[in-house]
Amino acid sequence: MTDQVTNQVTGQDTGQDIALRTTGLGVRRRRTWVLRDCSLAVPAGRVAALVGPNGAGKTTLMHTIVGLLTPREGTVEVSGEAAFMAQDRPLYGDFTVAETLAFARRLNPGWDDAFARDRLAAAGIPLDRRTARLSGGQQAQVALTVALARRPGLLVLDEPLAGLDPLARHDVMRALMAEVAERGTTILISSHVVAELRETCDWLVVLRDGRVRLCGDIEELLAGHLVLSGPAEAADAVSGAVSGAARVVAASRTGRRVRLLVRGAPALDARWSARNPDLEELVMAYLRGPRAADVPRTEAVPA
Amino acid sequence: MIWVTWRQHRAQLLVTGGLLAALGLLLLGSAVEARVYLAEHAPPGCPGSAPACWDLAAALDARYQVIYSIFGWMPLLAPALIGAFWGAPLLGREYERGTHRLAWTQQVSVARWLGVKLAMLGALAAAGGLLLSAMVGLWRRALLREDLFGNIGVFNMVGVVPAAWWLYAFLLGTAAGALLRRTLPAMALVVAGMAVTVFALFSLSDHYAEPVRAVLRDTTVLSDPDARLVRGAWLDPAGRELAGPPTGVCPRRPDAGRSEAGQRAYERCLFAAGYRYAVYYHPPTRFWRFQWTEAAILGAASLALAGVTVHRTLRHRV
Repeated sequence: MTDQVTNQVTGQDTGQDIALRTTGLGVRRRRTWVLRDCSLAVPAGRVAALVGPNGAGKTTLMHTIVGLLTPREGTVEVSGEAAFMAQDRPLYGDFTVAETLAFARRLNPGWDDAFARDRLAAAGIPLDRRTARLSGGQQAQVALTVALARRPGLLVLDEPLAGLDPLARHDVMRALMAEVAERGTTILISSHVVAELRETCDWLVVLRDGRVRLCGDIEELLAGHLVLSGPAEAADAVSGAVSGAARVVAASRTGRRVRLLVRGAPALDARWSARNPDLEELVMAYLRGPRAADVPRTEAVPA
Repeated sequence: MIWVTWRQHRAQLLVTGGLLAALGLLLLGSAVEARVYLAEHAPPGCPGSAPACWDLAAALDARYQVIYSIFGWMPLLAPALIGAFWGAPLLGREYERGTHRLAWTQQVSVARWLGVKLAMLGALAAAGGLLLSAMVGLWRRALLREDLFGNIGVFNMVGVVPAAWWLYAFLLGTAAGALLRRTLPAMALVVAGMAVTVFALFSLSDHYAEPVRAVLRDTTVLSDPDARLVRGAWLDPAGRELAGPPTGVCPRRPDAGRSEAGQRAYERCLFAAGYRYAVYYHPPTRFWRFQWTEAAILGAASLALAGVTVHRTLRHRV
């Protein structure tokens, strides 16, 4: 697809196994496609950020990956078991914490009860308390324990930090980092706040309007893009210079100057300053940029 | 999965068990009291059909009516409660609270999750219906009421039919929860659905078999009090069935319909003039045939509802 930029993330170029791969996923709800042509891959052991505005299809994509939705088109391949923590971290409020563990133990043959109890003991969560009476952070820890003690190969977390206070966010993220360090679990985290994922994630999937706009290693993606700044009248020249693998992702104009985010390295004259974008700039460019992959002409650049 | 089912539904199961136990105690108390009364007051040779026993039968009947008035609504009420409190929340509450996304992303498949719940709770609902049936049957025997067929309310509380009603109501509630995805609207739908079903099956039950036709020569009332009357019609002296009461043959006072004496006189006159009264009815010997017919109808409807629930749930999991 022309508007979909997917890095070549096959086993050969990363030297790693792929933990999650979706190919040409399409999901329809009523008459509209919520997901279309969704292809992405996450190598094993990565912490992947799935970002996109509300309504981009993040939850739908996650539901399809964990099998809650059956795609109309395409396939999902997961190596090993996929565990899921849904949005709002649902738990049975009238279950005690111990009963929640019993529930998960009975529904999961691979359940590691000792691990679950150790985790909750370390977090200081009483087993005899009903989950509805726990704090938001404690509920998140219980929900996370239910997902982790299954010993999954892939952990899918839908907005795991939403609605948590900063301390609880930190605890959740620390728990995820520990899991990656100890077991090499692959993690896919969705968020519409890019900033909260910057420190923990090393893989990026940008979703917009139900399509994957960008997918790849964060460092490589940042290195592979440039933020160009120069006089507005020179923008046409850059557009002309951008060819082959390079292209203008987004452009913005303030007064007489224009700022372009380009993929690849175009040949530039001295009027331009260039630097690598940060993660937020990169994501915003792919979320704000024109829908089609056409190289934008300067007249079309929004002021 | 069995533990999960028990844990999630134990409140309803325990309350239902408690209500059945309370009802059982009430019936047991009533039966014991009736037996004591019988032992103290029965003349020699009673209970029996001799005229000497009629006072005794009337006394027992009064005792029966007091208790019966308490649970005369049971054929409608008990299954409606099962549907509303066992069936409707089964899926409705999961969707409402979002916990289906927790339950259905574990290693146990959705099909198994749903299958165990439907099978286990369905079997328990049917067992509850059978228990109620057994208790009512024993109680009626203790009060010497052997009529189980003529009164359609009683008919639906004995035999195998209560099990079918309870199962049907449970699956109706589950299907309502699967379709509406909310507990309270599903409960309302169950109550409405049960009222419609009870009304429909009570009307339909006259057609479970071809009624027997009897031609009466001196009365319009069947001698068997436990027979189920379908309809009656006057026959003219030539044996043709009339659409309404014959006119112009016998004097009929305007209040004949309400005054028993006037009605009797009118009927005696018609019988004397050669008219006959045809009665279409189902004899009580058809008890089991009707029981199994009704159970089969409800069983088939239950299967269809279970199919709707499974299909809907597996197709639209979120």
